[in-house]
Amino acid sequence: MQPSPTTATRTTAHVLARAVNTPLVKALGHPWVESIVRLDAVEDALSALHPLLSLTQVRARVLRIVDETATTKTFVLQPNALWASAQAGQFVRVQLEINGRRVERAYSLSSRPGARRIAFTVKRQDQGLVSNHLHTAVSVGDVLTISQATGEFVLPDALPANILLLSAGSGITPVMSMLRDLKARNYGGDVVFLHVCRAPDDLIFAAQLQALAADFTGLRLVVHYDASAGFFSPQVLAQHVPDLNTRSTWMCGPAGFMDAISAYWDTQGFDKQLFSERFVGAPLLPSTAPGTPVQVSFANSGTTFTTSGTDPLLVQAERAGLTPKHGCRIGICRSCQCVKTSGTVENLQTGEVSSAPNELIRLCISTARSDVALAL
Amino acid sequence: MSFAKPTTLSREQVAEFEREVNTIRDSVMNNLGQADVDHMRNMIRISRASEIGGRALLHFGVGPLSWVAGVLALASAKILDNMEIGHNVMHGQYDWTGDPALNSQTFEWDIACDGEQWRHSHNVTHHTYTNILGKDRDLGYSLLRMTDEQKWKPRHWFQPLANLMLAMGFQYGVGSHDLEIGRYKHGAMPKAEFKARLDRFLTKVGKVWFKDYLLFPALALWSAPRVLAGNFCANLIRNLWTYLIIFCGHFTEGVAIYREEDTRNETKGDWYIRQLSGSSNLTGGRLFHVMSGHLSHQIEHHLFPDMPAHRYPEVAPQIQALCRKYGLFYNTGSLYKQYWTVMKRILTYTMPPKRVPV
Repeated sequence: MQPSPTTATRTTAHVLARAVNTPLVKALGHPWVESIVRLDAVEDALSALHPLLSLTQVRARVLRIVDETATTKTFVLQPNALWASAQAGQFVRVQLEINGRRVERAYSLSSRPGARRIAFTVKRQDQGLVSNHLHTAVSVGDVLTISQATGEFVLPDALPANILLLSAGSGITPVMSMLRDLKARNYGGDVVFLHVCRAPDDLIFAAQLQALAADFTGLRLVVHYDASAGFFSPQVLAQHVPDLNTRSTWMCGPAGFMDAISAYWDTQGFDKQLFSERFVGAPLLPSTAPGTPVQVSFANSGTTFTTSGTDPLLVQAERAGLTPKHGCRIGICRSCQCVKTSGTVENLQTGEVSSAPNELIRLCISTARSDVALAL
Repeated sequence: MSFAKPTTLSREQVAEFEREVNTIRDSVMNNLGQADVDHMRNMIRISRASEIGGRALLHFGVGPLSWVAGVLALASAKILDNMEIGHNVMHGQYDWTGDPALNSQTFEWDIACDGEQWRHSHNVTHHTYTNILGKDRDLGYSLLRMTDEQKWKPRHWFQPLANLMLAMGFQYGVGSHDLEIGRYKHGAMPKAEFKARLDRFLTKVGKVWFKDYLLFPALALWSAPRVLAGNFCANLIRNLWTYLIIFCGHFTEGVAIYREEDTRNETKGDWYIRQLSGSSNLTGGRLFHVMSGHLSHQIEHHLFPDMPAHRYPEVAPQIQALCRKYGLFYNTGSLYKQYWTVMKRILTYTMPPKRVPV
């Protein structure tokens, strides 16, 4: 899929940054150069000169923080010249360091693709480490490190004639970006933008939505407040949008909401496609009882095996005929340390059960407590 | 020196000791945070600044005083990089941060020892089999005879000289350690594997020589001899200092040596006792501890190899109190006192063992 044309981000700075950057990073990565000056040292020196300067990372300065509702804030950022561009509906991974530990969370962008400034919106979760940090510890002028935009939840290049953008709660962000994109692409078709939230106080982007509704001819805006209008079910959706079957639909919202809509789509046998974006704060995977057979995949080598019993992953892998790098076998030397990309593991030394994505684990003292994927 | 006596502690006492050591460990490991990362990043900044300052003084300075200052600054940078930063980061003490710059498995340091080979010889062999004769290859570094149990050979007459050579070229001793030349010579290692290890070592030596003895002197143009000599002296100071600290870690008087068969069914508690009895500490101030990479707390380091090292001074008194409680020997003393006993051992075991009259 071709990204939407993004003329605005092709400034001289960008062109220059790319031209200088790629060969420079390549040169610094050369083992002989690395032994003289490390890329880390260059990066740190650049950061010290100016917090946005980096050869490898997209950094973005917080320009504005908008209080959308009592529990949501929108962060408007100015990224550095390494920022490529985004397609409507994509997300960025925001990287933070909280009390010495790096954490990453994915947030959908709500800004129009090609805009110089990008924006994401964060709902404060009760126990959410990252959302609370963003709400309380980040202020205007701070610099955040973000990934390039990524994600498959995007509009096609050739737009369908009828579109439904459906969202609930903070799921509004990616479809908001799509709506802005449609407007910018002078979309001549028929688009319904239906959003579900509790009450008018909880409506994110209220002012922008009203402005868009006023001068976007093909747009019909529907907001369902479930505090006053009652529970939002797929049947209610069908009442709001009688021609559902004619609309290619992009939806984003809480898991229960999306499950109900998907099930309805299947039972009705609609032939227009339904695309959905599942975003979860920190996935809490179920953990199976110790000793339950689970699938372990070594993603890089493409091998998969099934565990048996409660032995550590190193023993399990060896039993399956694999030979992962290891040393002491008692959790001291870290030779067997690798990145667990997904799944739940138990640390046999501390008893800690963890489901965090992309965390370092030691094969010799970890057992699988769900299906596990390793970067090996 | 002789083998460690079986511990007089009962099984229950060993289990209790294990629990108490675990509690001390958890008290620190459960509250790692910003202060720890800040300490390490600070050390990295100081080391870099010291290297830039040192090299600048050697390149652009005039006269012998600036040369001496440059050498000292560069030596300090290398000592910090090797000891407080490299050694500790490569132990995985900062893996919990998730910062790729502090990742134990990809870190590389400014010394003639390849990081990956170090991780094997040090983290795997030495920290797992600490002071087990025949398993822990750090016992005399396959060069020196440090105990009665090591067989005396005529080459040991040259031991004091070998010790001096090792001290001066310590980075090459550490770097070639994982080659296991002895094993290769006895035919216990395939030629291909030895060749691969040798290539890796020589590549790393090539890199540090290129940097210190070719590139930087060449950049200094007419000051090349001044820079070359400065870099050589900075490396020499680093070698002597690291040798001095490391030899005081396991070769002092009173550290226990173990037989493999005595360690076969070790519990974690037994392992703790072996780590403790096989290590010795150095007393000093905060600067001394930092410059030693906190290997002045070798005992705590061997109990908790993956605990951020700057926390060792905080747990040391608790470990010492445990030792008093269980009647275990906590081996500590000044650098002077500890090194004196190391020298005594080196000289003692130079001599062939006295024949017992039949």
